[in-house]
Amino acid sequence: MKTSRKWLQNYFEAELPSSEAIADALTFHAVEIEEVAGDLLDVKILPDRAAYMLSHRGVALEIAASLNLVLKEDPFRTPPPDYPSTGKLTVELEGEEKTHRYMGALVEGVKVGPSPSWLKEALESVGQRSINNVVDATNYVMLNIGQPLHAFDAKKLKVKDGGYAITVRGALEGEKITTLSGEEFVLPEGVLLIVDRNADAPLGIAGIKGGTAAQIDEGTTDLIIEAANFDGTSVRRTAQALKLFTDASQRFQNKPSPALAAYALRDVLALIHDIAGGTLLGVTDVYPMPVTPETVSVSLAKINALLGSSYGMDEVRTALTRLGFSYTETEDMFTVIPSFERRDLSIPEDLVEEVGRILGYEHIPSTMLPPLGTAPNQYRFRGIERIKDFLTERGYAELSTQSFGVTGDIELANPLQLNRPWMRASLLPNMEAQRAFTATVAPRVLGPASAIKLFEIGNVFTNSGEVLMLALGISTEHKKDAPEILKENVATLEQELFGTPVHAQYSLDGTMIEMDLAKVNLEKLGEDYAPVEISLGAYQPFSIYPAALRDIAVWTPLGTEESEVANLILKEAGDRLVRIDLFDRFEKEERISYAFRLVFESKERTLSDADLDPAMERITAALNAAPGFSVR
Amino acid sequence: MGFDVAQGPELEDEWHNFDALNVPADHPARDMQDTFWTKESTPRVPRTQTSSVQIRYMEEKMKEGIEPPYRIIVPGKVYRNEATDATHEAQFYQNEGLVVGEGISLAHLKGTLDYFFKEYLGEESKVRFRPSFFPFTEPSVEVDVWFEVPGKEGRWLEVMGAGMVHPQVLRNVGIDPEKYQGFAFGGGIERLIMVKHSVPDVRLFHAGDLRFSYGFDIS
Repeated sequence: MKTSRKWLQNYFEAELPSSEAIADALTFHAVEIEEVAGDLLDVKILPDRAAYMLSHRGVALEIAASLNLVLKEDPFRTPPPDYPSTGKLTVELEGEEKTHRYMGALVEGVKVGPSPSWLKEALESVGQRSINNVVDATNYVMLNIGQPLHAFDAKKLKVKDGGYAITVRGALEGEKITTLSGEEFVLPEGVLLIVDRNADAPLGIAGIKGGTAAQIDEGTTDLIIEAANFDGTSVRRTAQALKLFTDASQRFQNKPSPALAAYALRDVLALIHDIAGGTLLGVTDVYPMPVTPETVSVSLAKINALLGSSYGMDEVRTALTRLGFSYTETEDMFTVIPSFERRDLSIPEDLVEEVGRILGYEHIPSTMLPPLGTAPNQYRFRGIERIKDFLTERGYAELSTQSFGVTGDIELANPLQLNRPWMRASLLPNMEAQRAFTATVAPRVLGPASAIKLFEIGNVFTNSGEVLMLALGISTEHKKDAPEILKENVATLEQELFGTPVHAQYSLDGTMIEMDLAKVNLEKLGEDYAPVEISLGAYQPFSIYPAALRDIAVWTPLGTEESEVANLILKEAGDRLVRIDLFDRFEKEERISYAFRLVFESKERTLSDADLDPAMERITAALNAAPGFSVR
Repeated sequence: MGFDVAQGPELEDEWHNFDALNVPADHPARDMQDTFWTKESTPRVPRTQTSSVQIRYMEEKMKEGIEPPYRIIVPGKVYRNEATDATHEAQFYQNEGLVVGEGISLAHLKGTLDYFFKEYLGEESKVRFRPSFFPFTEPSVEVDVWFEVPGKEGRWLEVMGAGMVHPQVLRNVGIDPEKYQGFAFGGGIERLIMVKHSVPDVRLFHAGDLRFSYGFDIS
């Protein structure tokens, strides 16, 4: 909800502190702030407080409570007047469960025109557009106190028996409406409509958006002003079905109080009278089941038990008073009579939160949990870790891949990637793809190892259920070795760890396997096992450009250490060298041959011969210069 | 600290992922998480939060006749239907914590998290709470942690949501909220690792790229 500091200032005599200070106070006592920009405070209103805080009045109240300021005037604490009724407007509700209240006011003789500059500026300060004085008045009151309102041009309705008639009813099959933004909707049956009963013509989609049929224009003189309360669930479903989300639907779906309509009607009638003139003929109010808030009680003991605090009665009184609550006390029990707009206060815990946040969570002590007598059960988790450690010790690297697949048994209705709409039914497709990818980065990551060994443990989703699977995949320098090595590894796993053969499926070429861990007793595996711990330091990002490889072999005198050779290379290689591995060493005729693989990488680009040749020449020269060394 | 590790299905039914956690159908709180749904006759959801396992764990214990105290953590994969970028991923891991017992309070939550973060991020770290809303906790808080990278200025990081377990959630699994109360917390695991080890992009974690897994200094 975008609010303006200037607008909020209307609620206070004393000057408000800076936007930043307001944001800070709200952050630690009420709600999150999305953005502060000059006078604009974008306040993140979550569903619990939306019924009263999607308004400047609600935010002002929270500022007052958070900063311990006094409100100049709370519009909700002055009861709305009783209006004369009028026979010229009748209202009929079909299906009362979807419309909790409908107030219609008939005003004659207004003059539609541009809004005064203060009103334009107020709307523009929170990102709204000024339309005309009447429409702006309805929007202003909504943004000010949270009640969506709508004004119809009365003369565009049909008069019958000397009056106008409004019905709120479900849309008929195939019924259409063109909204104020010019979009035409073919409405699903049952969508709640505001209808001109005398003409049987839809005037608006209830609680969401008005239609063009009774749109206010320059020639409008008579108004029907609607202040209604539509069922939040019904509005929410319609907004979703039509994909039409408006300021009004956002407010109604959070179920503001039907009592609010009367306050909003009072304010909008006064504002229209001020800026557009006209005379109120009367108000028709259909309010079948008036709502009265129920009291909520909480004891001081309960407050302290939940917060872990040691507040006294006085501190709780302070918090409740700052929030403007009416309450009574009996012994250590506080009974709050929520004002009508506070729809979020229904259980004692709600009051505990109010007290806790206003007094400030920084005062909550930090207390250790008491010790438990029993050992924790982490066996299954540790059993899985044991499998991972077992494989890692045998040269396997772990993969973690995405659970969405190109095929499967269970499809998503709303996938993120249209080419991967399935929940994966097997780990092998990702294993195959990542094994191929790993081959391209193996010299950089694994060095000149003779085999790439990968595993993944993850859930797969099939028609017969969700199962934890273990996949292994191998590739080797000599293709034919892979199936043999994999078979040996699987046998070791089954014999040494699982103690039993498990259900498994090899890939056709025998280089990948997927093993069902459902039958493995993971709890037992983890019973006496402490997972390997590795302490990781900072992450060093890799280049997005491919690494380049260069091999160099050198004859050295007997007694030369590998590190001596490596150091000579490192000194000359430059900072593009990211890895050096010895991949061959042998002795012949009183000499030792060392062969190193050098991996170069640049963060800026793919390296060419021209980039690497100078380094290799320097390395060659440095090695040749060492006594008894000769590059092969 | 005596926490069990609990696990549960990633493809979850609506009851465990939403309703039992006090998030009924058609409630605006459902908009707080972008949810995937399956195309099944009774649609299920790749769980949007590991909180579903709170429910499963408590249901199971109560069925076995085992009343609180409970202490669990739930590390596991969760899913959100949102566009991915360097700080958002449609699949990530959460770690959920749940402690239920007699006299468990928000102060215990603070003590537990303080202890964890001092251990994980360093002695100088500490937590603070800000008011928030989750349907399954009341009061609800956002948890920020103070983190100092050596040589840089310290800062507050938003790391998890938490609160006191809502009495309705306890009732939903048959636990008497007059007798027992508890706290719950949940936050992304990758985000913590990103902060601690300076990982620039969350999408690196589950791309199956060994350059990432091998990209950390071993200290």
